[in-house]
Amino acid sequence: MARLTIDDLKKIKEKQKAAFTLRQGGQRAKVTVHMGTCGIAAGARDVMTTVMDEIANANVEDVIVTTSGCAGLCSREPMITVEIVNEPPIKYCDLNATKVKEIFKEHIMGGKPVEKYALVLGSETTY
Amino acid sequence: MKKSRTNLMVCAGSGCVGAKSLKVKNALQEELKKWKLEDEVTVVLSGCAGVCTRGPIITVYPEEIFYENIKIEDVSFLVEEHFLKGRPVEKFMYKEPVERLAIPRMSEIPFFKHQVLRVLRNKGLIDPDKIEEYIARDGYSAAAKALTEMTPEEIIKVVKDSGIRGRGGAGFPVGVKWEVCAKMDSGQKYMLCNGSAAIKDGDRALMESDPHEIIEGMIIGARAIGATKGYIYVRTDYTIAVERLQKAIDQATEAGLLGEDILGSGFNFDLQVFRGGGAFICGESTALIHSIEGKRGTPRLIPPRSAEAGLWGKPTILNNVETLANIPLVIINGADWFKSLGTDDSPGTKVFALTGSINNTGFVEVPLGIPIRQILTDIGGGVPGAKRGRKFKAVHIGGPTGGSLPESLLDMPLTFDDIEKAGAVMGSGGMVFMDDNSCMVAMAKFFLEFNADESCGKCVPCRVGTKIMRDMLIAITEGRGREQDINALQEISYDLIVGSMCGFGQMAPNPVLTTIKYFREEYDSHIRDKWCRTGMCRELATFYIDERICKGCGVCLRACPTKAIIGEKKKPHKIIQELCLHCKTCYDACKFRTIRVLPFSAREASETELAELAEAIAPVVAVKKTEKAEKMEEVE
Amino acid sequence: MAENIKILVVDDEPIVIRSAKRILGAEGYDVEGASGGREAIIMMEKKNYDLVLTDLKMPEVDGITLMRWIRKSRPETGIVVITGYPSQETIKEALELGIIDYVPKPFTPAVLLDVTHRALEWMKGKIPEEEIPKEEFPPSMISELDRVIKEYKNKPGSTIPVLQRAQEIVGYLPPIIQKRIARGLNVSTADVHSIVSFYSFFSMKPRGEHIVKVCLGTACYVKGIEAVVTKLKAELKIEMGGITDDKRFSMESVRCLGACGLAPVMVIDQDTHGTLEPKKVAQILDEYRPVSKETT
Repeated sequence: MARLTIDDLKKIKEKQKAAFTLRQGGQRAKVTVHMGTCGIAAGARDVMTTVMDEIANANVEDVIVTTSGCAGLCSREPMITVEIVNEPPIKYCDLNATKVKEIFKEHIMGGKPVEKYALVLGSETTY
Repeated sequence: MKKSRTNLMVCAGSGCVGAKSLKVKNALQEELKKWKLEDEVTVVLSGCAGVCTRGPIITVYPEEIFYENIKIEDVSFLVEEHFLKGRPVEKFMYKEPVERLAIPRMSEIPFFKHQVLRVLRNKGLIDPDKIEEYIARDGYSAAAKALTEMTPEEIIKVVKDSGIRGRGGAGFPVGVKWEVCAKMDSGQKYMLCNGSAAIKDGDRALMESDPHEIIEGMIIGARAIGATKGYIYVRTDYTIAVERLQKAIDQATEAGLLGEDILGSGFNFDLQVFRGGGAFICGESTALIHSIEGKRGTPRLIPPRSAEAGLWGKPTILNNVETLANIPLVIINGADWFKSLGTDDSPGTKVFALTGSINNTGFVEVPLGIPIRQILTDIGGGVPGAKRGRKFKAVHIGGPTGGSLPESLLDMPLTFDDIEKAGAVMGSGGMVFMDDNSCMVAMAKFFLEFNADESCGKCVPCRVGTKIMRDMLIAITEGRGREQDINALQEISYDLIVGSMCGFGQMAPNPVLTTIKYFREEYDSHIRDKWCRTGMCRELATFYIDERICKGCGVCLRACPTKAIIGEKKKPHKIIQELCLHCKTCYDACKFRTIRVLPFSAREASETELAELAEAIAPVVAVKKTEKAEKMEEVE
Repeated sequence: MAENIKILVVDDEPIVIRSAKRILGAEGYDVEGASGGREAIIMMEKKNYDLVLTDLKMPEVDGITLMRWIRKSRPETGIVVITGYPSQETIKEALELGIIDYVPKPFTPAVLLDVTHRALEWMKGKIPEEEIPKEEFPPSMISELDRVIKEYKNKPGSTIPVLQRAQEIVGYLPPIIQKRIARGLNVSTADVHSIVSFYSFFSMKPRGEHIVKVCLGTACYVKGIEAVVTKLKAELKIEMGGITDDKRFSMESVRCLGACGLAPVMVIDQDTHGTLEPKKVAQILDEYRPVSKETT
């Protein structure tokens, strides 16, 4: 990255904001794996690998995987947030590989949220 | 004007306006006029409905029908069908698949609802390894403002006006500290960040989930005091935090947000991560500074304050992680915004880490001044096993040098001063909840074991005092306590408070003092009756199966590691005291709560005496009653 | 090796001479004492000493005067200063007179021995490479260590980072490694040791093939880690901080692993085992024993 000016900051902000909203990023779904210490200790790495494997197996290119910090509710880790374009994000909790596979099939591919593993609808955006 | 039967709210949030909602509104009004419905149906503009991707959004009241994605060409059909013929148009209705599902919204879950996310605003949302994502969330715009539009004096004024107090310990006003340092006439100054907290807490979560936020705070602080070098002090074993901070610093340096001539302002600031060696005392400012200098982390006498003579003798500011994370927000939003939450003396929000006997463990951000009870019941979801009769007993605030507060203080507002008055400290915001299964004397012992271990050894009262206190507490928990020990513990505590040089020694007795103050009867019971009612202190308990209630399910019999429990199936079981190790396994295993914790002396008691004792602490009638209530609950 | 080495200790406090005689004498050095500069000069005129340990502040003929005399008349004799009052001035003057080292008063036996030993080695014209057992510390490991030391040399405050890197490379910090680091960074072994012994992150004992880290944080304590520790001790037959006879496991306690949501917790190598119960312990340990590897 080159040295930034204040204008560059604004440009990056606009560009990246667009990428945040999926439809302009050209992606259909985004999976955020929460990788804080707690999450990793509870098995977030396994969850991450499973998601990657599933994407590879399904041979899809419009699903992106990203990591983020802890979602704050350590007792329910590992957690992921699934965001399908034009839908509010859903947080899943207490995950393992089997559950992730199911979520991938039902929600990410099928568009139907897996109620039984879901914790909450929406994402923290409070300022 | 006739009172309208229907209100039509057209969303005028920026997303919907972008999707031509204003034009839709005009079209609606015209269409309604065409059918002479303008008096019956009022069209108003509303604020953002929050589902901007599906605009324009129209809500029809009082039916609360939610239309989405309404285009101008849809308007005439909609008006005709819905408002003239009274048939809501399903195909325009908001299709939120999840709405039909049993997934609650964030605002419906108390854990999320009662939090206010300021410093944690990016948690779980951005990729901490990508500086662009932080920038997209307004990152580094505060630094840009501070470096190009504000003088150091102006920065300090805003920070001072905001009233923000240091989040790491006693809560010293940040702006005042910065001002002292800024006034020092010195070639080299340093800006440090204390990320050395010894317990799992919000600081660590912040470093992991939003490292750039801390870096930005440091740039602003450095600018304010005139520092050109800085260190973030992190414990080595916080591997993830260290990695992410390092990566964030590398990215920021590459982007010219650290290093020379930041954002073309002519200001230089170099930042490094310093991995500490894992000594609790290094949370103390002068000890931390010694540690960066490559020495043993022992504190030194203050004055001089670090702001006057700190790292390598130069003026130095040390702020904790959470404090620094607040700074960019203060710069962008101003002092009044910051003070809009919290209390007059403790403005802003605070991150707390909830652990122990509480349903939702994790870290949360709440406005200062809220009562502890709200954290316990709403956010934390209460004590686990409440239905089985588990009760809240105490909350320990502030880590090993903090204090344990009882139920009677649950409605106390969480502010720096109230917490301190109660005998605890805000510290790094650790909150450990304990239920009635926790022995407070054993907790005090646990904390003093820690403190005796972590005393750096420089001041004799602390080095020796913590060890004497620890040994006394061990003696009490092992049944060798004497009546005079409680006074002695208090006296030694006083010696530590007046005779120690640093905050660690002065606060090390806090767990003992608060447990004596609020849970005195437990000390008395341990010392006088040789009875730990929780059974946590093995030597002060006799476990006894209440034969009148035992159903003979055999769970305890199988759980017992020494096979000390005998009994036939479906008949009351019995513990053979000679074989019992007092490991409490059976107690935890029993689903019917038939196991009683009796005084040590009960070991010698006869069967009838045991039954009498058991009846005295848990009358059978009462037990059966709660059992009944539980069953009812289960049925419900 | 200490045989035939003559050391003169000059101090007006008899206790210093007594303790030096006791400490250094036990190592086989030939130690004599003088209560002041004048007496020392008289003694040195009669006999050659290899090393003089001298106080600075003494009545009549003080340390500096004595050292000037030694430099002029007995230039081959090494000088080490012992003093409780190291003012900038006197130390500077002493350094200009070519002292090898200085021992601050009060000193511990270890420091006195260390300084004496190093001073004598220095006088031999080289600091000996202590034989590093190759089977335990392969040369590649040592050269990596030396590279790190070189990287940090002459940077202020570098001791802790070097020790952290060293522990990553070697696994632990035995005295021989501490000495190498001290020499490389040009600081005293005592300084290095004082840091290693202070911070809990540093380990002076070798660690097992698998490291069992038990969390003793508050949350884990509340949730009953003590019973797990008791069980671990019984299973491994070691105490906290110990290593099993077969070197397979070592057990350490940490203050918080940061996984409080899973309390009580232990980490073996990189794997976190949460919501522990004593009865699960044996089974978990088995996963790290070779028997289970064969069966799987």
